[in-house]
Amino acid sequence: MNDMTRPDFDKPRVVGQRTPRIDGEFKLTGRAGYTGELHVDGMLYGYPVPATIANGVLESLDLDAARAMPGVVDIFHHGHFEALHRSPNSMAHGDMVNEVRLPFEDERIYYHGQYVALVVAETFEQARAAAQRVVARYREERGAVVSLLQTEAEGTLQESAGSTRGDPEAAFGGAEVKVDSTYHIAAESHLQMEMHATLAEWRDAGKRLVVHESTQGVFFQRNAMARVFGLAQENLEVISHYIGSGFGNKLFMWPHSVATAVAARMIGRPVKVVLPRQQDMTSGGNRPASRQRIRLGADRSGKLTSVIHDSTTETSLVHQYVDTCGSATPSFYACDNVSTSQRVLEVNHGTPCPMRAPGEVSGIFALETAMDELAVALEMDPVELRLKNNAEQDPASGLPWSSKHLDECLTSAAKRFGWEQRNPAIGSMRDGDEIIGYGMASCTWSAGRQPCEARVELRADGSLFAACGTQDIGTGTYTIVAQAVAELTGAELSRIEVKLGETSLPAGPLSGGSMATATVLPAVAAAARDALDAIKEVAVGSGGAFEGSDPDSLAAQAGGLTDGERRVSFEEILETSKLSSVNGQGSAAPGDERSEYAFRSFGAHFVEVRIDPEISRVRVTRVVSSIDIGRAINPPTARNQVEGGIVMGVGMGLLEKLDYDPRDARLINANVADYIVPTHADAPEIDVELLDYPDFKHNEFGGRGVGEIGLTGVASAIANAIYHATGKRHRDLPITIEALLASS
Amino acid sequence: MDDSVHSRPRVPETLGTQTLNFTLNGEPRTLEVAPNAVLLDVLREQLGLGGTKKGCDHGQCGACTVHVDGQAMNSCLRLAVMCEGQQVTTVEGLARDGELHPVQQNFLECDAYQCGYCTPGQMMSATALLNDERIGTDDASVKEAMSGNICRCGAYKNIVEAIQRSRAQLGYDATRKEGAA
Repeated sequence: MNDMTRPDFDKPRVVGQRTPRIDGEFKLTGRAGYTGELHVDGMLYGYPVPATIANGVLESLDLDAARAMPGVVDIFHHGHFEALHRSPNSMAHGDMVNEVRLPFEDERIYYHGQYVALVVAETFEQARAAAQRVVARYREERGAVVSLLQTEAEGTLQESAGSTRGDPEAAFGGAEVKVDSTYHIAAESHLQMEMHATLAEWRDAGKRLVVHESTQGVFFQRNAMARVFGLAQENLEVISHYIGSGFGNKLFMWPHSVATAVAARMIGRPVKVVLPRQQDMTSGGNRPASRQRIRLGADRSGKLTSVIHDSTTETSLVHQYVDTCGSATPSFYACDNVSTSQRVLEVNHGTPCPMRAPGEVSGIFALETAMDELAVALEMDPVELRLKNNAEQDPASGLPWSSKHLDECLTSAAKRFGWEQRNPAIGSMRDGDEIIGYGMASCTWSAGRQPCEARVELRADGSLFAACGTQDIGTGTYTIVAQAVAELTGAELSRIEVKLGETSLPAGPLSGGSMATATVLPAVAAAARDALDAIKEVAVGSGGAFEGSDPDSLAAQAGGLTDGERRVSFEEILETSKLSSVNGQGSAAPGDERSEYAFRSFGAHFVEVRIDPEISRVRVTRVVSSIDIGRAINPPTARNQVEGGIVMGVGMGLLEKLDYDPRDARLINANVADYIVPTHADAPEIDVELLDYPDFKHNEFGGRGVGEIGLTGVASAIANAIYHATGKRHRDLPITIEALLASS
Repeated sequence: MDDSVHSRPRVPETLGTQTLNFTLNGEPRTLEVAPNAVLLDVLREQLGLGGTKKGCDHGQCGACTVHVDGQAMNSCLRLAVMCEGQQVTTVEGLARDGELHPVQQNFLECDAYQCGYCTPGQMMSATALLNDERIGTDDASVKEAMSGNICRCGAYKNIVEAIQRSRAQLGYDATRKEGAA
């Protein structure tokens, strides 16, 4: 008898198998219902008015013309807004926000795009037209800090974001071989396809607030709004069923949500705001620019003796965001002398926020490019250098890894790529008029896990229902939850309904940090087991399908229970006992294993670039990667995320740059044509291998999460390939055509 | 710097409506629309057809792609009143009698999406290019032709695979040559 309540997760039937997305048909037919396309009765449209300067004071707003426009209901601004409270902004207490300053809080302008008014009208066209008639008068001030990349200012040291082991300065001073390089990365835009959107509706005479928000964290949004509006959390509901992705800028609440909810309350009708793309880019988050200095010391054999990683990133004048670049560095290589430091500099930009692999992706670009420089200085193969310094245990904590296979990633990807055919001499590989460059880099992302609750129902109509207050931002969470329920109950996937993205559901985690899978599935499994216990209790009870049996003798099989001789379906059991359903509750949290092991995923990217020196054109033509993420719960969606990370890495490496006007710190390229992201034609040939080493120390499903790691290391592998092709070391991203021209 | 006034473009003081007769997903429709209403917003807000997505409102991302008289177009760059007498097809018109269009089915099977937000636009461009004899049948031609549709999740590899599988199943292009573009 195969008891599926304790499934053999070494040989699962559904988990780890290719499973088309259960929400796929909704997305493919247009029925999915993203926030911006929702409607409720009596709904009005809001359109924010953004500041056109980046530094100064809003002296006056002339609203007469706008108010006279057809359909205008009200216009909100500093002089016409509710008195509110700021959120405590605590990660631990679940009310962190992306910008603590409330909308219209004062008349100072801190960044280009800061909202100075919100126009609300009967139709979208009317709101937009009236917003364009608002006349704002500013006193613009000199001295805007344009960018970290255009100042020598050092910024403020963040003591808690750094670490030291050994004596890295002394070790660097005495090192036989040294690299000392400084790297700059331009600010990037998330450019998630669906702009930020809020639909706010007050019910019960203004006592209860229902918010539809495109968010990666319904509970964080609810808690923050409760603090801001002084409401009991129970009187707030946040809903986010479909999210046009987020990449980090939808983790926490932004001021537009607050402005929308205030407008809805003051007018007494629901209000919807979809940020125009320009405002989404100025005011809805960015990856801050970074300046990093890396010092590596090694002996002649290539063994690292010192790693010193000093970083500075931007924050805004209205919110402190620390994009810690060095957080992977202490765990990356076996080295006794390592230090990291982090500084933050205030600039006149919209507030930066986490963006896919926040901090670490910038830090890994610098570290892995420096490692390539070290390999050149040592005249050593860069793969060999990395294998030589592979950390067999976590050097930061001293703990053994739960599971680590970086060496296999390096050798497997090198083989599939054809690395042994690489002639290390600069510019030595050619194909017609093109120079070919080969480069590589390692990649990594931490494997975290959070507490989580879930609920699973077995119903008399034969369906199963699973619920958790997390979100599916496109990573496939709906589908893996259904897979987990199918695994435990043996039920068909088509019978399993999954509900996510509501604060009325059991508390679930942010969709961020590559943590959702490892966090949610154990809670879902616990809930499914509890539901099975509940139906066993029913089955053995008076008049039940297995009346008088020992519940421990029953096991789940194919969506029913069996005693080894006879299988009765869940619906028959419930019908026999005249019940509509049974309910299982479950929760799960990380435990003692966190102090016994270190958890981190690793992998390797190998990149081919082709450069046409006549026109300074570089193309990433081929990427071969091997990544160890533990078990992929749904291999196609996991691989898709790594492939997507690689595509985003091509953008980071060659294309993406938020451009701030050096005269006044205005964002020049706040649109999808001038901020360049990879298109179909830019996407290289991609070959991703996911190693299959389930990490059961992390959780019973063996998955470690996959959202961020694919992006890390890609830009460095590209820069290293360009060095191989041209002999020019590019330490600043993006490596634009202008940068290539300057080097030729 | 001195006081600065940032003036805004002028628009008409009063905006009435205009009658629009067109065919939407095979059904004749008559609507009253504002003269400054964009087709994309009329579909999403007035008609409740949310499948057509807004990603930039400037013809830069392709998420709003629909067919107008069989041609793929950015619905964010068309005033609704320009569609008088025209046939407009949106993603809601792709499936027939509850059966997914082969392009939709192949997007499902190839996992040719992640968040799904650019997906309707990708599929509308895909179905148009499969019928467009000017576009070569090889991957490079497809990628070039699809480059007006941005997928920030980066599912490009799977999207191209889904398009090429659809081509094979639909029996298009049997006589076309590789690289005809």
